[in-house]
Amino acid sequence: MAIQRSVRRKRKEQAEYFFDYSLLFIVLFLLGFGLVMIYSASSYEAFQDFKDAAYYLKKQLIACMIGLALMIIVANIPYHFWERFAGLGYVVSLLLVPLVLTPLGVESRGARRWIRIPGVGLNLQPAEVAKLCMVLFLAVMVCKMGKSVRGLKGFLLMMAMPLPIVLEIYIITNNLSSAIIIMGISVLMVFVASPDYKKFVFMGLSAVAVVAVMVFVIVSTSAEGGGFRSERILAWLDPESHSQGKGWQTLQALYAIGSGGIWGKGLGQSMQKLDFVPEAQNDMIFSIICEELGLFGGIAVILMFIMLLWRMMVIANNAPDLFGAMLVVGVMGHIAIQTILNIAVVTNTIPNTGISLPFISYGGSSVMFLLIEIGLVLSVAKRIQLKEL
Amino acid sequence: MLSDNNKIFHRKKVLVIFFGCAALLLLLFGRLLYLMIWQADHYSKLATDLHERERSIKAARGRILDCNGVVLADNKTVCTVSVIHNQIKDPEEVIGILCRELDLSEEYVRKRVEKYSSMERIKSNVDKSIGDRIREYDLAGVKVDEDYKRYYPYNDLASKVLGFTGGDNQGIIGLEVIYEEYLQGKAGTILTMTDARGIEVEEAGERRIEPVNGNDLCISIDRNIQTYAAQLAQQACAAKEAEGVSIIVMNPQNGEIIAMVDVPEFNLNDPYALPEGTSENISEQEKQNLLNGIWRNGCINDTYEPGSTFKIITAAAGLEAGVVTPQSSFNCPGFIVVDDRKIRCHKTAGHGSQDFVHAMMNSCNPALITLGLRLGLDSYYEYFEKFGLKTKTGIDLPGEAGTIMHKKEDMGNVELATVSFGQSFQITPIQLVTTVSSIINGGNRVTPHFGVKALDEEGNVVKTFEYPVTEGIVSEKTSETMREILEMVVAEGSGKNGAVAGFRIGGKTATSQTIPRGSGRYIASFIGFAPADDPQVIALAIVDYPKGTYYGGQVAAPIVRQLFENILPYLGIMEYNQ
Repeated sequence: MAIQRSVRRKRKEQAEYFFDYSLLFIVLFLLGFGLVMIYSASSYEAFQDFKDAAYYLKKQLIACMIGLALMIIVANIPYHFWERFAGLGYVVSLLLVPLVLTPLGVESRGARRWIRIPGVGLNLQPAEVAKLCMVLFLAVMVCKMGKSVRGLKGFLLMMAMPLPIVLEIYIITNNLSSAIIIMGISVLMVFVASPDYKKFVFMGLSAVAVVAVMVFVIVSTSAEGGGFRSERILAWLDPESHSQGKGWQTLQALYAIGSGGIWGKGLGQSMQKLDFVPEAQNDMIFSIICEELGLFGGIAVILMFIMLLWRMMVIANNAPDLFGAMLVVGVMGHIAIQTILNIAVVTNTIPNTGISLPFISYGGSSVMFLLIEIGLVLSVAKRIQLKEL
Repeated sequence: MLSDNNKIFHRKKVLVIFFGCAALLLLLFGRLLYLMIWQADHYSKLATDLHERERSIKAARGRILDCNGVVLADNKTVCTVSVIHNQIKDPEEVIGILCRELDLSEEYVRKRVEKYSSMERIKSNVDKSIGDRIREYDLAGVKVDEDYKRYYPYNDLASKVLGFTGGDNQGIIGLEVIYEEYLQGKAGTILTMTDARGIEVEEAGERRIEPVNGNDLCISIDRNIQTYAAQLAQQACAAKEAEGVSIIVMNPQNGEIIAMVDVPEFNLNDPYALPEGTSENISEQEKQNLLNGIWRNGCINDTYEPGSTFKIITAAAGLEAGVVTPQSSFNCPGFIVVDDRKIRCHKTAGHGSQDFVHAMMNSCNPALITLGLRLGLDSYYEYFEKFGLKTKTGIDLPGEAGTIMHKKEDMGNVELATVSFGQSFQITPIQLVTTVSSIINGGNRVTPHFGVKALDEEGNVVKTFEYPVTEGIVSEKTSETMREILEMVVAEGSGKNGAVAGFRIGGKTATSQTIPRGSGRYIASFIGFAPADDPQVIALAIVDYPKGTYYGGQVAAPIVRQLFENILPYLGIMEYNQ
């Protein structure tokens, strides 16, 4: 009897202080694994360019530290605290994007997508801020609109809200992938908020139809059409005959994946990272993982992401209120979209576009904002009462 | 505070999202499976092609050995010194050492060391000892690669026969060209891994495909006889201030050439050297023509009018056809009238009445013309062709010249008469030796050749070369009669300067006046063989344009005599009277 009582007491204590250690562990594992792979993929090039093999590793490590600190802070703040900043966040995102055109903007690899934060020496990608703010803003809006979100009018309104920022990102920073991600997050959130399926099935089908028509038009007009995106489509369909142009990166990634085989060449043994795959530590890091760790390494990474999504699904479905659930759904959508698109690009399943692999790819602002989002999820998880599980 | 309930449909939708995403990730997993299992070979092969850089390793070229195994053409290890710009740590030290060791100007070396390129060659054909010394400095970025260079230990010995090789060790002339297939071997490769900038990745190691060395070629030349023949030719050339002297020594039974000399020879280790006093500003074309002249082998590349040595062929044809016997009688008044042409004998007073043996001993033109006319054009031409004179001998050297002969339909009695004593047509010296061999060896036309067999590195025979023999050119009887007649020519006739005390020698002299007639330019020659009753060796000496005495019997016969005096005992050919 005494033992039973003490167990019950223990459970009660746990209920008061629930913390999703599984989620935290998965995130920490992905971060640690990412750091190892960044070092492996970038050390050769880093040494060539900066005489410091750990150049990229160090920068990423600092970003991870800051990110983890921010995550712990956010996790310990009740998530309803952020409600009041939703409108502000939306406006800030709207204003930050055009800042890249000012002298604060930083250009890197031919794209002007970053702004320098004065005094800190860190570069910030406004698109990352916008993703987080959009999740928060839409979660608040879904709750505020209540049942009206379920009608056609509510649906259209919800769909219209992210558009200004999406267009800004697409037009000003010429960043199609971030625009797609933000739009995707929004669609997923509205999908959850609305009990309807038909509209979304229709939307999905029409999106597929539009894309199919575009691809068909590009292929049939081919060559003379030119343009940067249509060339990418052609390179996607036949990377080997565009190996010197747009197909180079994709083809090199395929070489890396193909030469990995089942067991891989072993950690650090990649040949393709020796400048063959451009920016191996960045968007294409998954190809180096496959080359070094083989099919099993690739599967392990995919499984880790599925587990991460599963944890977030559990949290979303047990969230104490709709706001918490919507926040988690937003974060879940963000990570899911980016993971799927990244692996699809690397395996040449879809045309090449710059999307990083969450937690693993090199990129300071990306990892920091992802950790803040995880902080939000953990904060929601904390409010879950164990008996409901 | 927002606290709308988390409805059932919300949960269902989150579930839908999760399973949707998981399904997509599983699809990508399938794609990965396809790429990494089904396409793995395809992509890893493409990737390897991209990563590997090939460096070839030269195969050692096969050596050329004489009949006793003496090496006539060998390989010398030489080094190529190069620098790799990216790997140089101390350029000044590198420049300093390379200037000193390679004896190059600082300006030359500096330009190459400072040039930004993946690999820059500083000097090739560097002596191995110098290469080793440079390697010992262990300079970062300096590469010393070993390489083979053809080396001829006897410099100009049999230069026009052996030939030499070019920059890639490929044969340029001579046997080096003909036996390229056996000599060249197969180059190996070193495959190294490089990054996208072409820099070698040291940890990745390298794959080697070992080269296969070329086969050694055994030839029938005897270095001692070749050397001696070359000395005799040079002496004669100097003594008679001749333009050239050629000597061919062959085994008439099987066509193996024991020596082939054509002075002036050239240094095989420096084949591109122009004669001294050549003006430096000649065009490339003129230079090439000059070199082609130097490399030309008169024994096979050039034709000449054989003159009286050709009477052997006329005589053999006559005997074979039965229009003459050794006892047949001929009268020589010092000339003969053919149609409307009066053709003189070299003895203007005439040889008077003589039998056929003496006509040959006297090298009497009217007698041989009579014989030729007796044979008639059709028959003579038929024998000319039957003896193989209109085809090439098939010797294993490049560029054999063909016979220059009248067309049958253009020939009249005058042409037939001149051909009968060896004028108005041209053949190569090797053609004469081959044809005379077939007449004295019992009627077998052999193929003159050098190549005997090819050996692999362990000395195993890879290939024994075989050459066609045409039998029955003349009957054994005719052959025997010819040997007797020719022995008489040397013993008591015009060829007595070719006689060697104690040996039975057969032979025939010739003194051919070159075109235009009356220029006073002659080619003196003598063809001799021993032993006369069973020929084991046949030798032809040709002296081009001697000054002073120009008779074959006085200029060329002594060369063959001296040669035979020395080589017959050496070859183990016994004196007949022992």
